[in-house]
This record gives sequence, C-alpha cells and structure tokens, in this order.
Amino acid sequence: MRTFVQAFSLILFSTLFIFTTYKLPDWLPADMYLRLDPLIGLSAILAGKEVIGRTLWFLMIIGTTLVIGRFFCGYFCPLGVTIDLGRYLLFRRKKISALKSEESFRKAKFFLLFIFLGAALAGVSLTYLMDPLPLLTRFYTFILYPLVITLINLSIDLLRPAFHALGWMGLSHLHYAQPVYYMALITFLIFAGIILLNRLAPRFWCRYLCPLGALLSFISPLGLWKRRVSKECNECLKCQRVCPMGAVEEDPRRTRLPECIQCQTCAGVCPQGAITFPASISYAKALAGEKYGPGGEYSPVDFSRRGFLYSVSGGLTVAFLADRTPFTPLKEKRQLIRPPGALPETNFLKACIRCGECMKSCPTNTLQPCLWESGLPGLWTPRMDLRFAACEQECNVCGKVCPTQAIRSLPLEEKTHAKVGTAVLLKEMCLVWAQDKLCLICDEICPYNAIVFRTVEGYRRPFVIASRCNGCGFCEQKCPIHGGSAIIVVPSGEIRLKEGSYVKEAKKLELEFKPDPGDDKFILEESGLKVEGDKKEGEKLLPQEKPKPPKPKGFL
Amino acid sequence: MKNFGRKISRRDFLKSAAAGAALTLAGKPVFSTAKDEYNLVIISGDPAPATRRALEAMGGISRFVKKGQRVVLKPNMSFPRPPESGCNTHPQVVATVAQACLEAGAQQVMVMDHTLSRPELCLERSGIRQACKPLKNVHVIGIEERKFFREIKIPQGKILDHVEVLKEVLESPVLISLPVTKSHSATGVSMGIKGLMGLIWDRKSFHDKYNINQALADLATVIKPRLIILDASRALVNGGPGGPGEVQKPNLIIAGVDPVAVDSYGVTVAPWYGQNFKGRQVEHLLVAHQRGLGKIDLDQLRIFKGKA
Repeated sequence: MRTFVQAFSLILFSTLFIFTTYKLPDWLPADMYLRLDPLIGLSAILAGKEVIGRTLWFLMIIGTTLVIGRFFCGYFCPLGVTIDLGRYLLFRRKKISALKSEESFRKAKFFLLFIFLGAALAGVSLTYLMDPLPLLTRFYTFILYPLVITLINLSIDLLRPAFHALGWMGLSHLHYAQPVYYMALITFLIFAGIILLNRLAPRFWCRYLCPLGALLSFISPLGLWKRRVSKECNECLKCQRVCPMGAVEEDPRRTRLPECIQCQTCAGVCPQGAITFPASISYAKALAGEKYGPGGEYSPVDFSRRGFLYSVSGGLTVAFLADRTPFTPLKEKRQLIRPPGALPETNFLKACIRCGECMKSCPTNTLQPCLWESGLPGLWTPRMDLRFAACEQECNVCGKVCPTQAIRSLPLEEKTHAKVGTAVLLKEMCLVWAQDKLCLICDEICPYNAIVFRTVEGYRRPFVIASRCNGCGFCEQKCPIHGGSAIIVVPSGEIRLKEGSYVKEAKKLELEFKPDPGDDKFILEESGLKVEGDKKEGEKLLPQEKPKPPKPKGFL
Repeated sequence: MKNFGRKISRRDFLKSAAAGAALTLAGKPVFSTAKDEYNLVIISGDPAPATRRALEAMGGISRFVKKGQRVVLKPNMSFPRPPESGCNTHPQVVATVAQACLEAGAQQVMVMDHTLSRPELCLERSGIRQACKPLKNVHVIGIEERKFFREIKIPQGKILDHVEVLKEVLESPVLISLPVTKSHSATGVSMGIKGLMGLIWDRKSFHDKYNINQALADLATVIKPRLIILDASRALVNGGPGGPGEVQKPNLIIAGVDPVAVDSYGVTVAPWYGQNFKGRQVEHLLVAHQRGLGKIDLDQLRIFKGKA
C-alpha cells in the first residue's frame, strides 16, 4: 500500500515535471508539489513579508498533517521516495545500524529549520538549499532531464537505420533538442550526497537533516493516527530495527511520535501482531508528550527553547552576513538579465525558491542558474544567457510555472512589454562599424525592428532604437563575432513591477514593442539615396568596401 | 541533371511523365497541353483551391509523383510566426500539395525544412503541422541537427565545391519546392532558389564567407526541385525574411518547373521595399539565369493564367 502510494507520488511528480513545457495548458498547476510545500511557502512569505497566493496551497498539507500525522514524508514526498529507492538499489544488502549519537544528530534538522526561518525573517531566503522539493526539482531539471534526453536521442540514433528501413519516416528524423545547464555538477554532487547518506542510516536525510520534515514533526503529534503497542509485545525489537525513521525508542512500546511517518513497517514485521495504528484523539497529551497517554507512550519533540533561540539567532546572523556584501548595493547595477516578469530584484531574491521549473520549461534554454553572479542570496536563481539563446517571443511559460510568483505569470501581451534590458552595440567589435563589412544579422533577426541602419559618412551603420528593444536577445545570440558579441543586452531600462500592468508602464515610458515595417522604408529612401551623394569619400575605400547602392541589398 | 543517388533514372522519369501525360489526356483534356506549352502557371484565388487548380494546370501531380515514391516537400517554415506574418508558406498550400501527392500514390510525404528557431515552435506556429495532421503518411519535420545532412560535391560549382544537403532530399526521388514570396535583407527577395538554403546545413557561410548570389546559383545546380509552387498568396514586401514587415496580398499561386522563371515572375507580383523590380534586377536570379539554370525574361515565357 505504502509502496504503491509512493510510486504513484513519484510518477505524478515526474509527470508534472514532464508537462512543464511552453505548451503547458493554463489550468494545469505543474508546480503543484512546490505549491504544497509548507516550508518553502512559509519562508518565501516570511522573507517577503507578504502573502503569496499560490503558496497557500500548503495549508492543505498543514491541514492533512494535523488530521493524519506526518504522512507526507512517508507517502508523498518525492525525495523521500527517491531516497527509499536509492537505498533499495544501492544498500539493500548492507547491514545498516543507526548512528551512535542518534539523539543529538536528530536535533540537527530543527536547528536547520530555525536557521532557515530566522534567515527568512531577516529577508534572506536560504530554505531552497535544503528543502526537499526544490532540491529534487533542481536535480530533475539540471541532471535527470538532460540525461533522459541524451539517452532517448542515443537510442533513436541506434534504431534510426531500422526506422528508415521500415519506412517510419517520422521516427527516423526524430531528434530532441539537448538541454544544457550550468551548475549541473554541483547540483548532482549535493543530490548524490543525500542518496549516499543512506549508507550511514536509512533515510539519513529525513531523520537528521530535512527541515521540512522538522516543520511537519512539530504538528504531526496532533494527528489522529498513532502507533500503539499492546501487551502482546515480547520486546524482540524487530520494529526498532526496521523503522526507517528510528522512531521506535529503546523500549519498543514507546514511540518518538514527531519522527513517526506512519509507514506502518513496524506493524508489518511484528511477530506478535502487537502493533496497531488506531485513531485516537489525545491531542493535548500527545503534544505535551505525556508519558502514559491512552494510546501508548510517546516522547515529545526533542528541541529546547534554548536550541530555538540559538538557531533563530544563527539564521539572523547568516542572513546578515549574506546580505551585507557589495552584492546587495550593486543588486540593480549588475550585468544580470532576469526573465521577463521577474519581480524587482530585492523581492525576486526573496521569493525565488530556486526550484528550476522556469529553466526546465524554457523552450530556448536561455534561462540558466546563477552561480555567484549575485552572491549567496542569488545561488541558482534564473538568469538569461542571451549569447547562448534568446527569449522566445510567443512564450510565457516561465511565469506560469513559478510556484512563488517570483516570475509573474503574465499573458503574452504583458510579457512582451516586460522589458528585460536593452541591446547595446559595441562599435569597436561590430563588423560594420569597425571593419566596414556588410553584416546585418542583428537587424534581420530582431523581432521588433529595434535595429535600423543609418548612413554615417557614406556607410550604412546599425543603430539600436532603445525604445523598441525589449531585450529578447536574438541580436546578441546571432551576432557572428567570435569571442563575444558586438551587441549585448544590458539590464538598463528593464521594467520590473511588483504589480500592475507592464503594457501601461511601457506606454508611460513611450516604449513600443511592435512589428512595424517603417524603418526599412527609411533605409531605402533616405540613407540609401544619401549614399549616392557621399560618393567622393569613396576614394578612400578599398574596392570591396564600396558604399551601399541606392537599391536594397540583393537587387541590381 | 545530377542524380546523386536518387533512385530514379531519367528513363523512369520520362516514363512517369508520359504516364502522367496520358492520365491527364484521358481525364482533363482542357489542360492537357499546359505542360507542353506553358512555362508558368499563375492562378489567382484562395491558397487551397488555387494550388489545386495550379497542379491541374501543370498537368496534374502525377506528372511529378509516381506511385510508391517518397516525396519531399520544402516549404518555408523556418520562423515561429503565424501565416499572417508572411514569412512562412501558407499551411493550406502545403496541405493541398501533400494531399495531391498522396492521391497520386506517394508512399510518404516528408514536409521538411532546416528551421532557424527551435523546430517544435516553427512547425506549430506556422500552422503547417496542424494543417497536415489529418493526412496519413505525411510527416512534418523541422531539422536542426547535422547528423541528418550528407556532404555532396558540386561539380559545376564556381565558388562552392561541396555542400551538406539534407539526406532525405538526396534519397527521395521527388523534391517539390513550396516557397513563399518574401523580401530578404541580403538577397532582395527570397523565393524558390533562395529557399534551397533551407535544405543545407551550413547557411552561415553563405552570408559571411561567400558571395551569396554566386553560392545560391552553385547550390541550384545540384538541388533541383521537380516542381516549384510559389506561394504568393501573401508577400512580405519588407522586413524579410523573418518579418515583421508589411504583408501584401497578391493572392496568387505560381507553378512551374523552371526555378528561375518561377522566381522571376514572383518578383513582379508586389513592390519590394516600395519599388517595382524585374527578375533581371535580382542578382541571384540573374546569376542563376546566366549559369543556364532557367529563363528570366517573362516575355520569353508562355504563361497560363487562371482563376480558382
């Protein structure tokens, strides 16, 4: 039963992940798991000091935990399932005993929880580092997804001759674009570490480290269903050995209720059939950890007030240190292009949970994780690598899948006006400006006609019209210069709104992102003809550097 | 004509042409002379019926496609923009020709282009995948990977001596080109001959290494579509090839087997960048004509005009 639910949960998680593409229908909450995560939602709310509607889905998990107990970890958490799977695959033959100084290790997760919450309170969101759902989503995005695409392409390549011979022409030309990401190795090492910790103790991560589990264990003793051991118990301690969470105490009749994930493995192995999980409503007693509740003997959450104070102040300190670097005052001045619709940088860093959903769904692969571009508070945040790929005009998926709306979900028209930056021409590098060559790729590729050619001293030279450029980056991507681009998008002029309409804002700023053919006529009628008049200067030029003829290119 | 591995010999071709002619004679005597007498067929009307009519006037698709053959259709579908933008071939033109090929007994119809953006987006937004969806054995494929290309020599090449061409084009017996009429910032206009660049791997060198007009003529000596149906239902008269730009509506379908003649007529259907031009004024067409690839002067052509 539990394995079944776990498998279902992992499959659901993976399916939703697969659905996060630019084709995502509006009604499908592909970021469901992340929305349900109480810790990540709570810390985004704490950090930003305002309620984020989407994350309130987590109330469902809080509610069900209050009723049922800490079932989330044992049944639904996709990282939990992955850890169990990893243990089954790698360590099932190994004899693994619990750690010696168990009790003190166990507290680690509470310290971590309050460090993260403390940091969030001070406005620095760090929970993403260890919250299981963003962590697993990152692993899926940066490692699993590219790997699966590689494997699929390899197998298609192998079978291609067969497809061809069979006349399955669609299949014989099938190829999936390979996504690539920075930070993949780091993400992998962290994930691999979590799986390998299973070697030390089963579900090491869940027992000792997971801050989400820590949060849930505070309220789980209130749940209705609890482990109860009857008098039949002969103290064989089998249950203690199999418990994946180490929730059975030295005296097997006693349960560390906050740790119990209701997997009922103990009930399954008990030779006496002494273990049951009946519903009981001893809320207060269980919470107080009263020794002899009606249902059995339970121990309370093992975390002192002092520990709480220490860890919260630790969190505040971390936040202070992370925030008081030049990165903070330089925040708005860095060469860092955020996705269209991203909140103002300060709010963005607080809200972003680094799950990588936006980067997974980006159809051009331009969204890439930051390493140290904006310091510790910016780890794994999405940025646009416009030299690598541009932002697709008719796509708005990154906002749609953002569980904390750090990137706002915008209709296409709005997204087009969410200017991410402005293209700047580097004349010293540009083939046309510096070498008098005939190149017009940036003009040709620009979807908004933001690049025009004007005649300067007998040559037609490209110019950027800043009020038409929304920073999509096609020019930067396609510029043929090696070792850099002669036209780069800088964040200058970006529009980042916490609320309200980007279209209105763009109108206010007299920006216009529209296909408009007017400038081509301008080239022809004005600059083209003027070149004729400037012919005298042509003497200086080499033969192949003749000024442009009055006719558009390609015509005689 | 160079065959480079196509499975059809000249004899096969003549036979099929004769068979097609015979069929047309029996079926539609009105047009039976079209293929002999007319170099070009110009039909005005909505894309789908005009295309159908143009095919009939060309002597029927069976003149070009034989039973059991695999056919490659090469539309412009390189940009992720809708039909109104004028930078891709109209989906109805593609679907109508694909349907006709199936009716002529084509085993499979491959609608292919080497797209400039992610293929997925191009096939979808151009509307071509959707239009071909109901047709069985029609595959709409955007290519972005080098492994689907193979290098061939260009024996008559002046500046290009080899080029990597889409394997499928080399292997399929029939290639039908379905370009759209649009302006082009480097070659003036982009139609059938310029459209051949969508079948090769390295387009960049055409722009930054070679004289593109000469290179296109070289390319046209090795990739020879058996039939060209030029979609002038819309003409992107400036801002091409990718747009955005002004879109005019000549509402014409132009068909022919002479690549230079078809494009040359296409030049006259709309004013490009605000000026009227003739085929001779388009450098790459003139070069192709001078290399003996086709007729360029419209007064030397016999043109069939009709309505649909």
